[in-house]
Amino acid sequence: MKKLSFSTLLTTSLMTLSATLGVAFSSATLAAETLNVYTYDAFASDWGPGPKIKANFEKECGCELNFVALDSSVGILSRAQFEGKSSQADVLLGLDLNLMEAAKKSGLLAEHNVNTSAVTIAGGWKDKVFVPFDQGNFAFIYNSETLKNPPTSLKEIVDNQNLRVIYQDPRTSTPGLGLLLWVKSVYGDGAADAWGRLASHTVTVTKSWSDAYGLFLKGEADVVLSYTTSPAYHIVAEGVTKYKAAQASEGLYPQIEVAAMMKSAPNPELAKRFMQFILQPGFQSTVATGNWMLPVVKLNEALPAAFDSALQPTKVLTLPASDVAKNRKAWVNEWLNATTR
Amino acid sequence: MLSFRAIKGLLPALLGVVFFLLMGAASLAALLRYSDISSWSEYLYEPYLWRVVRFSLWQALLSSGVSLLIAIPVASCLIHRQFRGRAILLQLFAVSMVVPTIVAILGLVVVYGRTGWLSQIFGLQIPLYGLVGILLAHVFFNMPLAVRLLLQGYDLIPSGQWRQASQLGFSRWSAFRLIEWHYMKKVLPGAFVLIFMLCFSSFAVVLSLGGGPKSSTLEVAIYQALRFDFDLNKASFLSLLQVTICTLFAVVVYRIAPINQQDVSVLAVKSYPVKDSFLAKGADCMALLCVLVLVIPPFLAIFDPIFSPLFLTTLLSSGLWQAVLVSLKIALPAAIISLSLGVCFVVLARFCMTRQYLSVLPSKLEHLGNMILMVPGLVIATGLFLWLRDLGWGFQSSYWIVVWVNAVMALPFVLRALMPVLYQQERRFRNLYLSLGIQSWSRWCLEWPLIRASVAQAFGYALLLSLGDMGVIALFGSQGLVSLPLYLFQLIGSYRLEEGACVAVVLISLCLILFYCSSRLIGGKTVSGKMTGGNFHVNH
Repeated sequence: MKKLSFSTLLTTSLMTLSATLGVAFSSATLAAETLNVYTYDAFASDWGPGPKIKANFEKECGCELNFVALDSSVGILSRAQFEGKSSQADVLLGLDLNLMEAAKKSGLLAEHNVNTSAVTIAGGWKDKVFVPFDQGNFAFIYNSETLKNPPTSLKEIVDNQNLRVIYQDPRTSTPGLGLLLWVKSVYGDGAADAWGRLASHTVTVTKSWSDAYGLFLKGEADVVLSYTTSPAYHIVAEGVTKYKAAQASEGLYPQIEVAAMMKSAPNPELAKRFMQFILQPGFQSTVATGNWMLPVVKLNEALPAAFDSALQPTKVLTLPASDVAKNRKAWVNEWLNATTR
Repeated sequence: MLSFRAIKGLLPALLGVVFFLLMGAASLAALLRYSDISSWSEYLYEPYLWRVVRFSLWQALLSSGVSLLIAIPVASCLIHRQFRGRAILLQLFAVSMVVPTIVAILGLVVVYGRTGWLSQIFGLQIPLYGLVGILLAHVFFNMPLAVRLLLQGYDLIPSGQWRQASQLGFSRWSAFRLIEWHYMKKVLPGAFVLIFMLCFSSFAVVLSLGGGPKSSTLEVAIYQALRFDFDLNKASFLSLLQVTICTLFAVVVYRIAPINQQDVSVLAVKSYPVKDSFLAKGADCMALLCVLVLVIPPFLAIFDPIFSPLFLTTLLSSGLWQAVLVSLKIALPAAIISLSLGVCFVVLARFCMTRQYLSVLPSKLEHLGNMILMVPGLVIATGLFLWLRDLGWGFQSSYWIVVWVNAVMALPFVLRALMPVLYQQERRFRNLYLSLGIQSWSRWCLEWPLIRASVAQAFGYALLLSLGDMGVIALFGSQGLVSLPLYLFQLIGSYRLEEGACVAVVLISLCLILFYCSSRLIGGKTVSGKMTGGNFHVNH
């Protein structure tokens, strides 16, 4: 009899076991005609626009659209970077204007070749890599039944120590990053002090929009950072009118959410088709009542009346994209240092 | 001299250890290749970084200090008093160490959270998110651990000393001062270092209860650097910093108090009653009350939802069973790999033990296995991932990386369970085996009945650790790779606590079932599924 040592036996049994377990999570389980779209959780959730878009796109492509929901919008890009060329992502959906430069630098994104002449965004759309899919303005939302004197400016939100505030982390979430730039454009060099004053009455800084909004609805805060169109959701979907967006006399900061396809997309043909589809009614008509943002092309049917009552900005503030790309890390550090003192 | 035959028998064990080292080296090399060391100096000027370091140290010091402070009177009380429920309490202490971190966090949120029991029943609002929550969680985990470590110290007190104390009419205080403290002093530094390390590198607790950037630890900063900035450079720098701090801390404490309690001999200690007093009764009641308030409610909170109708609907969700399957697919191979690695280490160590010229090796090997406690699992995983990604196996590899890193993370605990008993075998019977010419496989066959209980324990630990892991999976988890703890973490993150509690019950039940099965199948009938071994802990 051949002498076997115990460890050899262990190794062989291990091999056989792992073979029998037969774990193949990845590409093997995905059908050939599947389009993988990385997006943030709220977009892909049952109450988000994801399911409708999936149904509409699958009708015309004869494929399967698979949303991979990630827990934060900034995390979409880093996830793709983390996976690198081996990523199964075809399309990244849910970055925004302020992340475009950084995302292009990663070298992972391909040009889309979509005709963007129909885009209604002020100043048109020229970018060759990104396609916009919705737009809106950031605003703080409050409950008008419990908050009798709502703030009318960003300065008031920063300085009113009795106001319990929740906002999102600018390192992980695009609304959080939006607030960072909003504060920067209003306060300039005084941003650090403003953050310090805001920190003393901030309930918490959450990882994503859905965490923050969920906490606000539970009554944990007086105001939460969201969008001017958020009250429309409560009116249309719930018939509730008590939630309102607070006006900011300094002006509002806009957000444009964008999508791009990956160079290494396993399914480049489908990815291209989806990029085209983003500006078509099948996608754009779901934006308003699914993602509660405004569409970026003109649609035939009018938006629900609730959107007409949405807050209009007195002034639109924007910082140049090149400045944002150059200073984002420094500004985030400034925010970190000011809020953790 | 080494004979060729002996080497040949050792080959698999050597290969195992070498493989372990190679994987570690590969992961480090991959990380360093992606980082630019010359730019590291600028991180040193970030005030936020030092705030994170300060907070990491501060919370770890507080957590370990509070855990030990509560543990001392509790241990003393458990030694001197026999009361109804004492055995159950000791069992609970053993169990609270193997509760998956995320489950305990859920229990704490249900009890202390904004809409938790405390605020519902007493209208008390505890600021759970931040230092308070982190402390509560760490004390919940580590106070029982500290008590068990201290009780091991008590086992060393000879009966004679108790007898004398009883005859001389010592009060509880004098007995503590003159006898107990003397033995506690031997155990405390080791316990302090262990608990400090566990709290310093705690991840899931801080991630869930940190509540924003204010209370962040190095481990969480590493996670964020990887997950949100994809900044490998920063991640490598931070992990190096973490390993440095941990090493320095351990070296300093071990310098002050050398530790050598590999094999605690448990004598049958007979204890004699010392004089009781009203004051002593009061102190003991206080200590027990402390325990009851800290440890019991989260447990009750976890098992609360069994009676709710929601429990059934949660049980029917496909996502849950998907997660159960993924968890099993991760935990079983991880435990097998961990056990094989452990056996490789121990075989090699005991081979060197009896040979003069190699006698330095065993302790080195053990340290090598324990080093893992200091190195952030996220970093090992990331390094491996990058390495495999460049070889073009990126997407498929993430599952195996989770398995491997879980296996490696469990290694210290596996070694702790295996080493003493295998060393003992070697000391007792080596010459007998040699004289009879019994080797390798036949020797294992003879040893098996004697060591199977420890093997079962080692395997069970590795299994539970991998089942409850919330570290690596947080980074690599994606669709199709969501383990139960991650599923639970997502539910807690979206404030679906009721559902989370149901999932937690499933997770705990799974842990208990698997632990029981492994101790019955591997350990044989002699071992009831008791979780012994005071130096075991799940808190990564």
